[in-house]
Amino acid sequence: MAFTLLVNGVQYSVDAEQETPLLWVLRDSIGLTGTKYGCGIGQCGACTVLMDGNAVRSCFMQAGRAVGRKITTIEGLSPDGSHPAQLAWKEFDVPQCGYCQSGQILTAVALLEKKPKPTDADIDAQMTNACRCGTYHRIRQAIHRAAALRGQ
Amino acid sequence: MSEKTPEKKTEMDRREFLTTTATVGGAMVLGFWMPLSAEAANMPVAPTPWYREAAVPEINAWITIAPDDTVTIRVGQTELGTGVFTANPMMVAEELQCDWKKVRAEYASANRDAREKAPEWTLKVPGNGESDPGGAAPVELENAKGVYRRMIIHSSGNVRESRYYLQLAGAEARERLLLAAANEWGVPVSELVAKDSVITHAKSKRRTTYGAIAAKAARTPLPDPSKIKIKTPDKYTLLGTEQKSLDVPLKVTGEAIYGIDIRLPGMLYAAVKACPVWGGDVQSYNFDRIRNMPGVHSVVRLPFDSLTKSVGFLCGGVAAIADSWWRAKTALDALPVEWNYGSGAGVSSTSLYDLHLATGKQPGEAKTNDGNVDEAMARAAKVVEAVYSVPFSPRARMEPGNATVLVTDNRVDIWSGDQDPQGLLRRAAKLTGITPENVYIHSTFQGGGYGSNGNGPQGEQAVAVANAVRGRPVKMLWTREEDWGTGTKYRPMSVCLMKAGLDAQGWPIAMEVRHATTWSLGDMGYRGLSAPPYFIPNYRLTIHAPKTHVPIGTRRGTGAAPNGFYMESFIDELANIAGKDPYMYRRELISRNPAEPKQGVGGFVHRDDFVRALDMVAKMSGWGTPLPEGWARGIAIDDRRRPTRTTSTICAQVHTVEVTKAGKLTHHRVDVVFEQGFALMNPLSVRKQIEGQIAWGYDDTMYQATTLEEGHAIERNFDKFPVSRMNEYPKQVNIQFMKTNRWITGAGEEAIPQIPPAILNAVFKITGKRFRSIPLKSHDLSWG
Repeated sequence: MAFTLLVNGVQYSVDAEQETPLLWVLRDSIGLTGTKYGCGIGQCGACTVLMDGNAVRSCFMQAGRAVGRKITTIEGLSPDGSHPAQLAWKEFDVPQCGYCQSGQILTAVALLEKKPKPTDADIDAQMTNACRCGTYHRIRQAIHRAAALRGQ
Repeated sequence: MSEKTPEKKTEMDRREFLTTTATVGGAMVLGFWMPLSAEAANMPVAPTPWYREAAVPEINAWITIAPDDTVTIRVGQTELGTGVFTANPMMVAEELQCDWKKVRAEYASANRDAREKAPEWTLKVPGNGESDPGGAAPVELENAKGVYRRMIIHSSGNVRESRYYLQLAGAEARERLLLAAANEWGVPVSELVAKDSVITHAKSKRRTTYGAIAAKAARTPLPDPSKIKIKTPDKYTLLGTEQKSLDVPLKVTGEAIYGIDIRLPGMLYAAVKACPVWGGDVQSYNFDRIRNMPGVHSVVRLPFDSLTKSVGFLCGGVAAIADSWWRAKTALDALPVEWNYGSGAGVSSTSLYDLHLATGKQPGEAKTNDGNVDEAMARAAKVVEAVYSVPFSPRARMEPGNATVLVTDNRVDIWSGDQDPQGLLRRAAKLTGITPENVYIHSTFQGGGYGSNGNGPQGEQAVAVANAVRGRPVKMLWTREEDWGTGTKYRPMSVCLMKAGLDAQGWPIAMEVRHATTWSLGDMGYRGLSAPPYFIPNYRLTIHAPKTHVPIGTRRGTGAAPNGFYMESFIDELANIAGKDPYMYRRELISRNPAEPKQGVGGFVHRDDFVRALDMVAKMSGWGTPLPEGWARGIAIDDRRRPTRTTSTICAQVHTVEVTKAGKLTHHRVDVVFEQGFALMNPLSVRKQIEGQIAWGYDDTMYQATTLEEGHAIERNFDKFPVSRMNEYPKQVNIQFMKTNRWITGAGEEAIPQIPPAILNAVFKITGKRFRSIPLKSHDLSWG
């Protein structure tokens, strides 16, 4: 029952049940552990990945449904941490424990694709990922900075 | 399993993997480790501690220096978001006088700590603690005699406990580098200057680098290391400057390795289900029902017996083991299990609240009894009574509990982010019968902690599982529901009965506080209540201890959080009854204290700093200036003080809040004055900690509670246990540091106790409703 997934531009042949959540295929079958498990019910956002450019919660999506779609994980955002969101995150020293930040960054990337100059209201509406360390203050600043970096 | 694995990455061996998971900063490039062949499963782990790189000279247990001047500094404490991977190297580098841009951090080895005694020169801690710039807070280190002293991270204690010996470690290494250069050049060591990893001798214009002299320094002991002196804060050049976190670059690329990310050759996966009622155990289970499910390996019973209790288990359970975690979890969900719930099964939050309230009315243990409360209460012009409470609440970290463990017949290896690596090492030895010297902890990053046993018995359960399948590494991972329902300890429910007698002008002449709490750890039940900052000539605090089956532990904010909520809300009530401004009311009551501690009532050595903090925060928040209808400011102050006040950090806050007539609350603005004492190690890190605590305290105020029904926790995932998001975080946060002439306690949780009372004090001003329990989600805030 092997199936193929396109992740970060690489075709992976995966031998797992198709109902397995995409999160576990990414982490345990393919070995991309930057995507994190937080709740398993699509609530916290730690497992966020991009699917055809949209932020989706991979813990709540069967891997079979991702076949034929273009998946981007945090590892695929840039080869060297140079994506504008990553640069901005570093500039504002955003992460504390860091566990939710892959999901935060990918959600922000999806937001910036749709709204290159997001307002605070846009950020409030789109950034629905939980951070228990409470890094929201810096995430907001970093998103504005990333928007500016993209525009340069 | 995947067919495509990048070939170059599979060349990394396990030793290399271990090194790279735990090393950050500088120019180090992290690689991903991918599974090797199944045959490699029995590959022995390198027998020597993993971080010892023979090619790189070790100056002392904390410091290695490579020929290219890369300085690697070992950190004993786990990085779980509080900045230890940056602040601790800064404390060493301050004295080492090395080039900060070339500093890397890596984990120290708990195994080495178990084998090696602390150097003699780190054990003597001179000074008088908080009031001595060159001093330390030695009390907590008395029994920590291993080389890395105290590796547990708790009680905002990292800087407080480790600053002194980390500065010493840097100074010892610097002196040896200087001595080695002096010996080589045949000049007096006093003529040499060390700066940014370069040693110069001005007279002869000679120059060398730390990297060049390191090998010699490693063989050059100091004649008398006990003579080393550390810098006082006025001499700091690196400490006290804002430095970005060394681990952040790894945390924006997915490269940072947490416990959950460990992958080993031939690794099995385990999912665990523990008895939902703490103290309960497994009655029976039927493995045959899942035996043939895909990938299933076995089921391991985790008994609740004297051994497992002694290592921190909270109840018994079962673990399903399979070739992937999802398969293990799927099998476990299908496994029929009968439980023996034990004696806690009949308990609910309602029954426990009633028990607390009843116990609070019974005689208790007096912690403070100043003056004559009963006599003063009898002559008071007015007596005010109020009942406050908080519910149970877990720490609720983001990374669910996990650990990866390999047990063989003579050795245990544990890969985990754990708040207490030394404790885990001892407990693993106990569980397996293997000596502590043969237990190795390979520390990883940890996805939050928020309490000294914040990770629960994750490592201990994982060891028990792996011990049942010796020879195979097992990654045990809790579901979110396991983590919050059976894997954690709780900030306990408590009920506080407060009673004040006021004189005709509304000033308290007597106060009686009866606190019913199961928080029997240290001073958690009375920290902040036993010696309030307010001058109340007749004051009595009694502690009343009901019994419950709910496991109780420390949680971010400690006992100061509920206790501060009670005191700072009640004093606000009194101000309102007195018809006085709550800021000025506090200010007056604090000012009435004698400044010096005296026999009897009211000595308050930090009086003037408290008043200064109140004045600063009032000014920066625009206290007293007009706000729109439905808006108000609330104020609170606390210092997370211990009863003796030898360790505390003063923090005053004003929260600007809006409540619509329909009852919707918006948290608009927070102004914070935070004591910095002599110096903060990394002010950027402290700023981040305070920003985060604002979200933490807000969540406590608004949402968070663990409700009990039939003895078990109801809120076990994010759907029922809300964590606020971006849209609820205040748009304006102002933080000012306040210099004082002492060392502060720490910064990891000192801005939390003020938040619920400050918000609720503002809510009262708007709505006229005085809420005496949190979270607010259970209350109707509508008004007008």
